[in-house]
Amino acid sequence: MPTAGSATEAQAEAASDVTFAEVLRANQSSVFSLAYHFLRDRGAAEEVAQDVFLRLYRKIDDIENAKHLTFWLRKVTSHRCIDYVRRRGSQCTIALEDTAEPPAIEQHGDPLLSRRLRHLIATLPEKPRMVMVLRYQEDLTPEEISDVLEMPVRTVKSHLQRSLAILREKIERSMGEIR
Amino acid sequence: MEDFEQELKYALARKEQPPSLEAKVFASIARDASARKLSWRWEALAASVILVAGLGAQHAHAVRERVAGEAAKAHLRLALQVTVTELSKIQRTVRASTEDE
Repeated sequence: MPTAGSATEAQAEAASDVTFAEVLRANQSSVFSLAYHFLRDRGAAEEVAQDVFLRLYRKIDDIENAKHLTFWLRKVTSHRCIDYVRRRGSQCTIALEDTAEPPAIEQHGDPLLSRRLRHLIATLPEKPRMVMVLRYQEDLTPEEISDVLEMPVRTVKSHLQRSLAILREKIERSMGEIR
Repeated sequence: MEDFEQELKYALARKEQPPSLEAKVFASIARDASARKLSWRWEALAASVILVAGLGAQHAHAVRERVAGEAAKAHLRLALQVTVTELSKIQRTVRASTEDE
């Protein structure tokens, strides 16, 4: 027979589930996209997003406010993505050109150029790739990226500069080939 | 911002999450909760076994100490008896020699 205490506990649990569901709905696109742009694998991105939200559910009481929540989600997702790639190691067999792209929330720009850029970003090493995704998907400053990835700001800036130079050069070369 | 950076923003625009993600997250939370409950039960069982084994060892130690104590007491009693017997013999010998004089 349920006691008054257990009824209160059940109510509190139900209330926390409602709050968690709201948090999940508000952030699932950001977490999934971060993982997808880094991993370029829909299934793997979904797996990482699932794991991130499970960790959030366990830690929800430690989250102080909305800003902390966003920071926590970006940080855990970034680290989980890098761990995922390292764990998977050389088993990466996904043909990047063949994977079906999830639809973008808002479609802008040249779809062909966007696709080519995503493919080139996927060829960058792990840390510079995550720096690029955080910079251009999440619109973070180098200082914010430095907090999320726990690396010096000058390293973030150097990753950004080098990656931009590599991508520019490769995109110009490939566009030249198309013309 | 340069055009190239704007193109990067377009390329890395947020994607729609799979519709199944929310259900999968709640399923993994439910699985995790039941696994934690099961693990909690195993931990409680293991703790009980350790407690019972500890109490058993403590009891066995107490029994061993009591047996050793009783053995020591018996030895002491025997030693006292031997001493009393020897003292009586000496006393008798002393008394006999006194009477002879």
